[in-house]
Amino acid sequence: MKPFSFSKSDKVSKALSAKKEAVQFLAGGTNLVDLMKKNIAVPDGLIDISAVLSDKVEAQTVNTRIGAMVRNSALATDPQILAKNPLVAKAVLAGASPQIRNMASTAGNLLQRTRCPYFYETSTPCNKRNPGSGCSALHGEQRMSAIIGYNDACVAVHPSDLCIALAALSASVNVTDKGNKQLVIPFKDFHKLPESTPELDNHLPKDAIITSVDIPDNPFNKHFAYLKLRDRDSYAFALVSVAAALELEGNRIKDARLASGGVAHKPWRWQKAEQYLKGKEANAATFSAAAAMVADEVKPLPGNGFKKVMLMGAIETALQNCLTA
Amino acid sequence: MNGKNFYSRRFFLKTSGALAALAAIPATVKSFYLDAKRLIIPPRQKQPLIVKVNKQTHRLEADTRTTLLDLLREDLHLTGTKKGCDHGQCGACTVHVNGERVLSCLTLAATLPGKEVTTIEGLADGDQLHPMQEAFLECDGFQCGYCTPGQIMSAVACVKEGHTKSVAEIKEFMSGNLCRCGAYNGIVESIQKVAK
Amino acid sequence: MGLFNAKNKAAAVLKGRVEGIAKVTGAGKYAAEYRVDNMCHAVFAGSTIAAGTIKSIYLENAKQVEGVLAIITHLNKPGVPGFTTEAKIKDTRAGLPLFHTDKVYFRNQPIAMVVANTLEEATYAASLIEVTYEEDKATVDFKKAHPTVPLSLQGRERGSLDAWSSAPVVVDQEYDIAAEVHNPMEMHATIAHWTAADKLVLYDKTQGVVNVQRTISKIFEIPTENIEVFSEFVGGGFGSGLRVWTNAVGAVMAAKQVDRPVKLMLTRPQMFSLTGYRPAAWQRVKLGADKEGKFLGIHHQGKNGTSAFEPFQEGLTTITRMIYNFDNLKAEQSIVPLNLGTPTWMRGPGDCTGAFAVECAIDELSYQLNMDPVALRLKNFAITHDPENKKPYSSNFIDECITKGAEMIDWKQRKQQPGAITEGDWKVGYGVAVGMWGAGRGNASAGISMEKDGTMTVKTAMTDIGTGTGTAMQNMTHTFTGMPKDKIKIELGHSTLPTAGSQGGSTGMSSISGAVSAVCEVLKKQLAAYAAAINPAYKDAKPGDVLLSATGVSLKSDNNEFVSLADIWQKNNLTTIAVKASSGPGAERQQYAFCCSTAHFAKVRVNTKTGKVKVERAVCVADGGTIVNEKPAANQISGAIVGGIGMALMEEIHPDDKLGNLVGNDLAGYHFAVNADAPMIEVAFINKPDPYVNPSGAKGLGEVGIIGCAPAIANAIYNATGKRLRDLPITPDKVLI
Repeated sequence: MKPFSFSKSDKVSKALSAKKEAVQFLAGGTNLVDLMKKNIAVPDGLIDISAVLSDKVEAQTVNTRIGAMVRNSALATDPQILAKNPLVAKAVLAGASPQIRNMASTAGNLLQRTRCPYFYETSTPCNKRNPGSGCSALHGEQRMSAIIGYNDACVAVHPSDLCIALAALSASVNVTDKGNKQLVIPFKDFHKLPESTPELDNHLPKDAIITSVDIPDNPFNKHFAYLKLRDRDSYAFALVSVAAALELEGNRIKDARLASGGVAHKPWRWQKAEQYLKGKEANAATFSAAAAMVADEVKPLPGNGFKKVMLMGAIETALQNCLTA
Repeated sequence: MNGKNFYSRRFFLKTSGALAALAAIPATVKSFYLDAKRLIIPPRQKQPLIVKVNKQTHRLEADTRTTLLDLLREDLHLTGTKKGCDHGQCGACTVHVNGERVLSCLTLAATLPGKEVTTIEGLADGDQLHPMQEAFLECDGFQCGYCTPGQIMSAVACVKEGHTKSVAEIKEFMSGNLCRCGAYNGIVESIQKVAK
Repeated sequence: MGLFNAKNKAAAVLKGRVEGIAKVTGAGKYAAEYRVDNMCHAVFAGSTIAAGTIKSIYLENAKQVEGVLAIITHLNKPGVPGFTTEAKIKDTRAGLPLFHTDKVYFRNQPIAMVVANTLEEATYAASLIEVTYEEDKATVDFKKAHPTVPLSLQGRERGSLDAWSSAPVVVDQEYDIAAEVHNPMEMHATIAHWTAADKLVLYDKTQGVVNVQRTISKIFEIPTENIEVFSEFVGGGFGSGLRVWTNAVGAVMAAKQVDRPVKLMLTRPQMFSLTGYRPAAWQRVKLGADKEGKFLGIHHQGKNGTSAFEPFQEGLTTITRMIYNFDNLKAEQSIVPLNLGTPTWMRGPGDCTGAFAVECAIDELSYQLNMDPVALRLKNFAITHDPENKKPYSSNFIDECITKGAEMIDWKQRKQQPGAITEGDWKVGYGVAVGMWGAGRGNASAGISMEKDGTMTVKTAMTDIGTGTGTAMQNMTHTFTGMPKDKIKIELGHSTLPTAGSQGGSTGMSSISGAVSAVCEVLKKQLAAYAAAINPAYKDAKPGDVLLSATGVSLKSDNNEFVSLADIWQKNNLTTIAVKASSGPGAERQQYAFCCSTAHFAKVRVNTKTGKVKVERAVCVADGGTIVNEKPAANQISGAIVGGIGMALMEEIHPDDKLGNLVGNDLAGYHFAVNADAPMIEVAFINKPDPYVNPSGAKGLGEVGIIGCAPAIANAIYNATGKRLRDLPITPDKVLI
């Protein structure tokens, strides 16, 4: 680790004004400290903002507001989340380990960087870590790589589980920028695809702070499922994951949400399949047809063709699980 | 590394013949030195630090880079907390901060003032072992013992959190603590015993 | 020294292992945890290519880092006497001599070492070292490399291939297995402290202190007795601690250079390259049988990966010679050099890989014959004699293992027809396989020192890597002498204690039990001689008749002839009684063949949509002779099965063929089983003494618990799905596609 200065801030505005070019904010630290140890993040200084951010979950008139500093474990057990957005709790519990969930913040979860093994291996080319150096995974080991939305510059995927649920539930991200201006970024626009700037994971303005995440009130608290497939049963990143939620009228699907992790540079919503599901009977044939629509959209790399088949199975299973959950 | 000799039994000797060629510094070194960028290396930053570990207050100067794990092991000589990966991938370094289980390898020591740290050394009450320590002894919840302090700290938290309703639940909520000896049977049984 | 069970109180001894309290309180000291004054830290910088030559090393940036004391490379390394000639290097058996070549043979090969005051400083400085290379083409992909490597005969050919060329039933298949890494939870670490110009103290993570002494003695050319090695607590090994690796050599070199004690702990990624691994292997098994299922012959071919600078051959075909009776056997093997570190023995080395191929082939045969695979094995087991050398087995209960295991898992629930049990999207299946391991025994010494209050300390240099050696020593001493367990203390893992070999190859228990038995005899003789000065009944007492208690000695006779320890001590003017004895294998090795065995059963659920495999039940029945240590023995077997689940379903290193690196070389990228991956494992023992192996009748269990586990799971997956997967690990993608 490169030497760095360390300070603690007690107000968002103070933290923002103290923020210099090569200084980074520190919240839970579960990703940033790791990246610093690997010399992937090399800040000159850290500002600990864990005390300046809300760690409360609040019910508001049309949404639920999750403070940026709400720890993952607190989020997963919060009574309001469990009542109104239990899909979020399910997703959170599929990620990391109890210890990490006790440390990791909500905002930090949104900002965590890819777990592409080449990104972590600093002796290999990586456009995300070292722009212009090339993408090692494009011609290398692709087990953990994307199957949609990638390009030659980067085939990495976003590693979060929480974000898949937030994407499915059309959350939005509240941000305070350097000039103390409040911004609201819809979740679908928060993370980005690699495009020509794979080094950037999201559209958070430079030197801005996420203050909270809002989930609009929704009817998806009865029939939902989060399914994560990975190389072992727990404490591993997803090969593919699926957040599925249905609003049912009798056996008819009134509305549906379907999103995936482990497939793209950002949490991915399967909107065509969602549209298809609306109005259909909730049964295996419908789910299978939805899964097939998703499969049509993806373009696996030479080394991860299995993900297409796995994703189809995961979507069918997750949708089926919505009925039994 | 080609040719038939490579596959012979003596290939160790043959390749290590490269040893003989070491006498002189390669001529290219000089030119590389001209090209290499001399960086400005920032000096280390030390800060006074007050940390409370196992109810004892320590005042010291610490490098801002020092993690809680290295602070415990190298500075406070509390080596019960183990380093198994140093990157949040194994759980061997699990301690309690303000009563919750966390990973000390991903916790910067500088973030600790105002918080209370409990390590495996602080779990027993004098000579009276914590019930979880007793249970690990009785259920043989370990082999080599290296992941054990982390397992026990995690297990104590697991019971406190109430994640003990079934074997499956215990297993899921203990999966952040890797055990390469595979003493998972005994770990689960220890938790069941204490949770009763 | 003497920390192993220093913390234990009498009450705790009865509950668990002798070193239990030290482990559950964190008091036990592992290699990197000893407190040595004035210590500094060393960190390796590794090569970033897999093959080539170092052109230049730029250290100026690294040198600027505050606290840096020295940077060692091949250009400025201090003189190492054992690395001056090729003959000496070979004699050290330490592999590639550290910092003695400009050649790079694999990624992460140490090419520089920074020594600094603190770990943070050393780590940062190491990251600033810049190196240029002349890069060569590297070969890291075993599957691509092995086809061009020819095979050669391995061991004696039995019968002939022609004899069964027209066998009515033949299986002929290829089996692959990915390289696995030991990854003990404690990373390899050494603290080196030169206490004089030719005297060295080492705190080292190793499975054998004597091996460290010997190796370091050869490398640095100082007498073995001048090297004191501590390894009282060892955070797992599984074979990685059977060699002396660069962490030890580097720490010693650095300590010499800066004239201060130095600690060097490898990083987790370095553990993938610098401390061995189970090499990738390809195998082909051709198995022929008659219509009744009697095996006619096996042709077993195997290749395994090794490094580009050292040959390492796995005994892939060894197990084929042990378990079953058949007349014709041809075995062929070869090794495939790769630009990786050198592999080494990993839990059940050779047999574990070999059993995967052979036990799967037998399963395939059973379906061809439409015969229960348990019955098929029972028909072919060589129970009475070793089929290779025709010596009688000292004891062999593999048939009882498989029969008992079948009952435990309720084998009759299994359907012979694959894919017959369906529960929604899940398919359910059962599998079986067996394992065997030669029950070895080495020479070992043990000592006992006894105090007037009856406290006995039993000592050996052997390590306890989590196997329960110390506890077994206590149990055996109690059995051999009658002394209550709370009076028996254990010291081990230190080079000044009575010498013993490494704990490896499942020989630890067998070797040390002989030594403990011998030293208990000597102690009893000695006590009888002292007691004879008080009570003449002891004059010609046989050691077998002498019994110890916390207060005195007595004789197995009508009036027990009790003599108190207090009287013995007073009469003979004693302070401490110290005795020592050695023991080792003898003539029994010429007469008998020795084995331990396991039968593994698995019940799996396979999800047809997601490819998920869940091991729902794992049952293992083991024959390890007498079970000296019930709980730790069961723990060791169930732990081995956790390893077997990893081997079957998830463990593999992914070398990048273009860049030569190991992709995901950490514990997030390399998956081994977490708690949730394993069911509550069911273990049972035959628990019958081996009459000839050693005085305790106990045989080691470390290896045999994993041998046969992975094929049992693979066979269960076939039974569940009808899909035969011959390429480990069986990850969900292979199940799906």
